[in-house]
Amino acid sequence: MSRIFGIDLGTTNSLIAVMEEGKPRIIPDPQTGALLLPSVVALGPNGTLAVGQRAVELEQEFSQSEASAGSDENKVVVIRSVKRYMGLGGDELAPEERRRYSFAELSGPVVKFRVGERVYTPPQISADILRALKSRAEAALGEKVERVVITVPAYFNDAQRQATKDAGRLAGLEVVRLLNEPTAASLAYGLGEMASGKVAVYDLGGGTFDISILSIKEGIFEVLATNGDTHLGGDDMDQALAEFITEGLPESLAHDRRFWPLIRAAAESCKRRLSAEMVSKVELELDGTRIERVVSREEFERRIKPLVDRTIERCSMALKDAGVAPGEIDAVVLVGGATRVPLVQRAVEELFGRKPLCSLDPDLVVAMGAAVQAGVLMGKRDDVLLLDVVPLSLGIEAMGGVMERLIHRNTTIPTSVKERFTTAVDNQTFVDIHVLQGERELARDCRSLARFKLGPIPPQPAGVPRIEVTFMIDANGILNVTARDERTGLEHSVEVKPSYGLTEEEIERMLEEAIDYGEQDIEERLRIVARTEAEQILNAFAKQLNEFPDLIEPEERSQAEAVAQKLRAALDEGADRETIKRLTDELNELTTPFAHRIMDRAIKQALEHKSVDEISS
Amino acid sequence: MIRCPSCGCEQSEKIVCEQCTGPLPVDLDLFAALGLERRLSLEPAELERIYHEISRRIHPDRFANSPQEVREASLKSTALVTRAYRTLRDPVSRGLYWLELHGTKLAEDNKQVPSELAALVFEVQEQLAELRDTEEPSSRQSLLETIAQSREAAQREMDQAREQLVANFAKWDQKSASQAELLAELKALLSRIAYLRTLLRDIDREIEPSVPR
Repeated sequence: MSRIFGIDLGTTNSLIAVMEEGKPRIIPDPQTGALLLPSVVALGPNGTLAVGQRAVELEQEFSQSEASAGSDENKVVVIRSVKRYMGLGGDELAPEERRRYSFAELSGPVVKFRVGERVYTPPQISADILRALKSRAEAALGEKVERVVITVPAYFNDAQRQATKDAGRLAGLEVVRLLNEPTAASLAYGLGEMASGKVAVYDLGGGTFDISILSIKEGIFEVLATNGDTHLGGDDMDQALAEFITEGLPESLAHDRRFWPLIRAAAESCKRRLSAEMVSKVELELDGTRIERVVSREEFERRIKPLVDRTIERCSMALKDAGVAPGEIDAVVLVGGATRVPLVQRAVEELFGRKPLCSLDPDLVVAMGAAVQAGVLMGKRDDVLLLDVVPLSLGIEAMGGVMERLIHRNTTIPTSVKERFTTAVDNQTFVDIHVLQGERELARDCRSLARFKLGPIPPQPAGVPRIEVTFMIDANGILNVTARDERTGLEHSVEVKPSYGLTEEEIERMLEEAIDYGEQDIEERLRIVARTEAEQILNAFAKQLNEFPDLIEPEERSQAEAVAQKLRAALDEGADRETIKRLTDELNELTTPFAHRIMDRAIKQALEHKSVDEISS
Repeated sequence: MIRCPSCGCEQSEKIVCEQCTGPLPVDLDLFAALGLERRLSLEPAELERIYHEISRRIHPDRFANSPQEVREASLKSTALVTRAYRTLRDPVSRGLYWLELHGTKLAEDNKQVPSELAALVFEVQEQLAELRDTEEPSSRQSLLETIAQSREAAQREMDQAREQLVANFAKWDQKSASQAELLAELKALLSRIAYLRTLLRDIDREIEPSVPR
């Protein structure tokens, strides 16, 4: 059987690692030597354009260009932090998340990014990142990558875990195990520095926060409790800093989707500098407006204090659930890039009363742990065993809309519970079970996980049928439901309707689509983007000339037509992207005044048809 | 008798196969799952040792490359062993499970205030009601302090009840009383603990209203 690889599918960066000679090793990009793959994906109208560093470059190239501002059909969209969208329904997006990208169907069970005429779900975009890691490792090692362990935040709910598994499947990988990130980190450390004792792992990544309390004893890594927030991380610090940087700017600059990549990048690099320096200067140019801001570490800390306080509250909850006092912790481990922020380190040290360990690089430690667990799953380390927990309670909606808890949070997994169901009215043929996840008392305050339909049940008087339902949470933290008729002992069919996430049919369809576009060359795809854009502007220009010949100056017309002709010729010859792009931009510039005149007339005409009242209201 | 999915041998129901130490897909009671005699007093450290030892053998991580049938047996038996450990580790849930094993349980309507707690419960309910009606910060503060004292009193009662429970376990294991008497005593004590637990929860809800999402 092929080897199992460990993947850290991070919000900001992703890595792939494998066990070599009993030690975890991160596999670098064979060309550049880079260990981290930026979790950034560039999408064009015809599919994925680039992943990683190349996508970061495209983000800069396209950030203020027509391709991102222009019509939907020729858009290039660069997506970051897709992990924050995993397992979410469209209606669960925060306002600032909605502003970032263009979305389709905001009411559906899955977030859908709109890119031109296509839509992409978060698992599809994550699959692009996984494919890039897979091909990196295959190129570096010359062996197939087929089976993987993928790490997830410990506080990920069922839908977020399922979405991660779906991403693996879409990338053509067998996900042997989903592994909680803090647990992975403890494995990486535990083999060396901590032979036994109670350990706290504080993991503040790009988009997610986890705290796990573990007990390590003779190779058994037992998670006692975990807590966290799957929407809290370095990204939120960047956001807080971005708000400071853009304070006082008009809405049109501060909140325009086109400028966000620039503002975000400036905020992020400022945050990084402030880990070493006390003062940092931000310089930015947005649409000709120069912005200069001096940010002190003090100001930065004031802005992010509420975020850090939230993590500390979560730590206290985890300690309480674990039944461990802060002083009983033998070691504290810091994981995730955001733990480089001095305020974070001070807060953690203050809570636990000891200096945190950070001898392993906080960006690499999770991937190393994933490789260790891959080794365990290959049977290479039978001295090590992880006993992890489910982060959120699982229950069903009972009478009166109350959440009836079946499995409590921090229960060791795998775990199962059996419940008996029957019918409420005579001849009822189906029983519906609404499964929930969360800590609140009322069903409507918990997160809906799925609706299960038991049946068909042979017609019988109410209360006679006895169906035993087993709720099993597997070692990945994912729920499986089976049902059995108690009298016949036969398995009962269960129809599952997940509340969030993709259906089996949708995944099948995506798998087919992925084959269609998967192998296209990036440059070729970028060229297609440029060609589409060129064709659109040519068509628009021809149409406008035909409809509004009176609105263009003769001089303008001859210049523009000359460029249009060159562009058409370039397209016919199959010219390179740069040539097409240059001519497109030139034509665009020459015809802008003409387009404005057409727009002015349209507005005027529209106003003439309305009364004064309508205009002022 | 049960067939082992790993080696195919037939044997009596146990959590691991006697031949190959692989997992068996059994449905045992929680004492049997951990290979324990039915006893109320259990040593926590010993229980943990047994739990770790069995987990090392049957956990799904050990069977990632095994056939489906073996992986399913591993999942099922690990879930059972985990539930057994969680239930038996805590004296209260162990006591409740003991009642269940003997065909009884705490009454659904466990509303009757145990007489020895009546005074405390009455006092706390009154303090909580007063807190709900008080808005002035300094009076709230002094009320909160009073409630904190009541909470301590309730916690002391709880600690005592739990200690008594563990002490009685040893006595009951020696079968000095009849089964019926034993169950009645166990039930009375567990019902007192359940009542105190509700009381403490009610206090906590009033004094720290923020519940995690």
